[in-house]
Amino acid sequence: MNITEVKSQRVGDSYYKINHPSGLTIYVYPKEGYKSTYAIFGTKYGSINTCFSVDDGEKITVPDGIAHYLEHKLFESEDGDAFAKYAKTGANANAYTSFEKTCYLFSCTEKFEESLEILLGFVQDPYFTAQTVAKEQGIIGQEIKMYDDSPDWRVMFNMLECMYRNHPVKIDIAGTVESISHITAEKLYEVYNVFYNLNNMVLCVAGNATVEQVVKIADKMLKKADKHKITNYFEDEPYEIVKDYVEQSFPVSMPLFNLGYKERADKMLNEKELAQTEILLSMLASDTSVLYRNLMDAQLINSSFSYELFEGPGYCSVIFGGESRYPQKAAEMIKAYISEVKKNGLSREEFEIAQKAVYGDAVSSLNSVSSISNMIADYHFNGNELFSYIDAIANVTFDDVTTRLSQMLDNNNCTLSVVKQAADEVK
Amino acid sequence: MASIKRNQIANGATFTSVKDDRFKTMKISANIILPLNEKTASSNAVLCGTLVRSCREYPDFTVLSRKLSALYGAELTSSVRKCGDMQMLSISASGLDDRYTLNNDSVSQELSKLLCSVIFEPNLEGEKFVKSEVEQEKRQMLDLIDSEFNDKRIYANSQLVSNMCADEVYGIKRYGTSDNIRAIDENSLYATWKNMLENAVFEILYIGDSPSDGVSEIFQSAFNGLKRTPCSISTQVVKNAKEVKRVSEEMELSQSKLVMGFRTEYAVPDKQVKAAQLMCAILGGTANSKLFCNVREKQSLCYYCAARYNKTKGIMTVDSGVEGNNIEKAEQGILKEIEDMKNGNITDFEISATKMAVINSFYTSNDSVSGIESWYLNQLFDNGFETIEEASEKINAVTKEEIVDAAQKLTLDTIYVLKNK
Repeated sequence: MNITEVKSQRVGDSYYKINHPSGLTIYVYPKEGYKSTYAIFGTKYGSINTCFSVDDGEKITVPDGIAHYLEHKLFESEDGDAFAKYAKTGANANAYTSFEKTCYLFSCTEKFEESLEILLGFVQDPYFTAQTVAKEQGIIGQEIKMYDDSPDWRVMFNMLECMYRNHPVKIDIAGTVESISHITAEKLYEVYNVFYNLNNMVLCVAGNATVEQVVKIADKMLKKADKHKITNYFEDEPYEIVKDYVEQSFPVSMPLFNLGYKERADKMLNEKELAQTEILLSMLASDTSVLYRNLMDAQLINSSFSYELFEGPGYCSVIFGGESRYPQKAAEMIKAYISEVKKNGLSREEFEIAQKAVYGDAVSSLNSVSSISNMIADYHFNGNELFSYIDAIANVTFDDVTTRLSQMLDNNNCTLSVVKQAADEVK
Repeated sequence: MASIKRNQIANGATFTSVKDDRFKTMKISANIILPLNEKTASSNAVLCGTLVRSCREYPDFTVLSRKLSALYGAELTSSVRKCGDMQMLSISASGLDDRYTLNNDSVSQELSKLLCSVIFEPNLEGEKFVKSEVEQEKRQMLDLIDSEFNDKRIYANSQLVSNMCADEVYGIKRYGTSDNIRAIDENSLYATWKNMLENAVFEILYIGDSPSDGVSEIFQSAFNGLKRTPCSISTQVVKNAKEVKRVSEEMELSQSKLVMGFRTEYAVPDKQVKAAQLMCAILGGTANSKLFCNVREKQSLCYYCAARYNKTKGIMTVDSGVEGNNIEKAEQGILKEIEDMKNGNITDFEISATKMAVINSFYTSNDSVSGIESWYLNQLFDNGFETIEEASEKINAVTKEEIVDAAQKLTLDTIYVLKNK
């Protein structure tokens, strides 16, 4: 077993990376003085992985929403559900499925080892029957409908549909009521056996726990897995967007918008590129920016305005969004501002301010055991490292950011999505 | 472990410092408490937002934000909440602890001064606020009210409270009404500010590693020369419901929302509050609760079905998102679980597991700056402060009889349904 310490001089913290003989990569980030511990056990398998092969075998296609369905069903075992087991330790447990990963987690302040045993136990112990699978249709059906009624969710997926021609990131994580009706126990076992292989997974623990404790439970609970080659297939995605505008009527009293710039996504960004991009976006659109000020003064946005780098395997975009009574005008102002800075250049003073702000945010996130664990899992799956990212922020130069800007935010390749009240319903 | 100091720094103003070296950030918040009142709720809310937009020293939003960004992305935020029949305006500054700055900058002192100046030395033109700033904040507040309608779970819960407490102070919304917001101007807001300085109760909370003495002094001197008559704090508790009110609305939605409001009889400072908290958690506060296990897992009626207890107002709400034709089934399912609890159908395991879960959440909150802040703010209207250890001990001491008694005191007051067309 190989244990490496990863240290940050800058923030005075360190964590441990363990290559466990079972095939699982484990991270332990002790936080001195903390009473709580947060553990996350995740697989690099999310809603976008609907077409794949194993060891270069036959291509397999599965229904949309199956990764999320599997997440729900894994909580049930032959001997009862995981929540009932956690009830004996007092841990607070949950799980989530995103586009590119599925994670099971708990936080606890007592009986950490018992809770970790439960986590590693139930995730490695699938139990699906026709009856238990059928029972979940009603629950997930209501989850899907709840999201159908969420204007924030709709405005984003409408945008993704107009941005991506083929990439499955445009499909709702939970699928549809129709697509999940095709999910069977056999199909759940099929995807489980491919993606819930320890070599494709990660365990991150942060807080009041030691390497020795985690390794002891890992040794006891983990079943060695043979490594297989998993290939995920995505149809070729052109650089160009599909459509530059989409609108949906909805019972809302504040209209919402998402303006998404489709970026090249041949490979995931590394720590340096991430740091450059975060600083650039903060310069362009944080609440200290000229753009934000102009949008506010023109009454085109309110404090719900935000921006985000949205990236995963095969997709990358920058999204500006929020509530606006005049979404088109807000989008025009954003586009005009981007043209302007591309032509006239960025400001050095704004660069220095943004660098400090992004650095401060990154260091602050190390307060929280949940954000630490989630970040380490993300960085692991994307081939990056947390402290290298923080160092990269401190080392970014003005010229790096200028170069970065020239490579992204193409005004001819963006989509505006709007959700607003139907004209005849306006009060 | 943290060390806590509480000092009165002026009439009706208390400074609490929690010294803790575990975090990379510090936070200081001024929590300003005023009676909730239909006439003043909107202007207090607009005042709170206007104050963090600028101040005499940084008389412009962008200048102020740049100052904050240069302090390592420090944040200056405002929020307005309802605590029983009181309105609480919170203005907070948070930023990197001095130990982690790149050039040994001191963020904590600068932020404390900044927080003090936005409250006590706002950006004024004589005895008026700046018109453009006030108008900008009014627009934001009107947007905020409208956006609560966008999220139907929030909207449904808010409609329940408005209907259930229509004749009570608690029925007033935290931002007041849109009409009252429109009526505010730069002159009236000045009067609102003066009223706040003279009549509000101030609870200032500092959480961080750097010494707080300097910070406390900054605030203490800010109160010098103010003639203060702090307001008194109380909340009307309606102990039982008379008859069940039913309210429903229809909208173009995929899912219907069901919210049920109960009177619990017990509210702060009653000693039965801990039992009521546990009763509510057993009913619908965890993934092992009666509502989760039965209404969701066994009956597959919904994705969420949760119960929440408001210890200040003494009410409990249960909410769920269901298929339109399952509303009645869900209502029956929820009432059946409550009936079960009234009849004493609660296992020892349910009680011990829920106690553990509640205590776990107490201790988890102590590992974050915002969690520590909430721990103290949540007790502002209680009789004195409890440590986590003390609160946990009291939770552990609650008996099954007390939980059953709390369940038996529940009376259904209002059912609100948002039905999908």
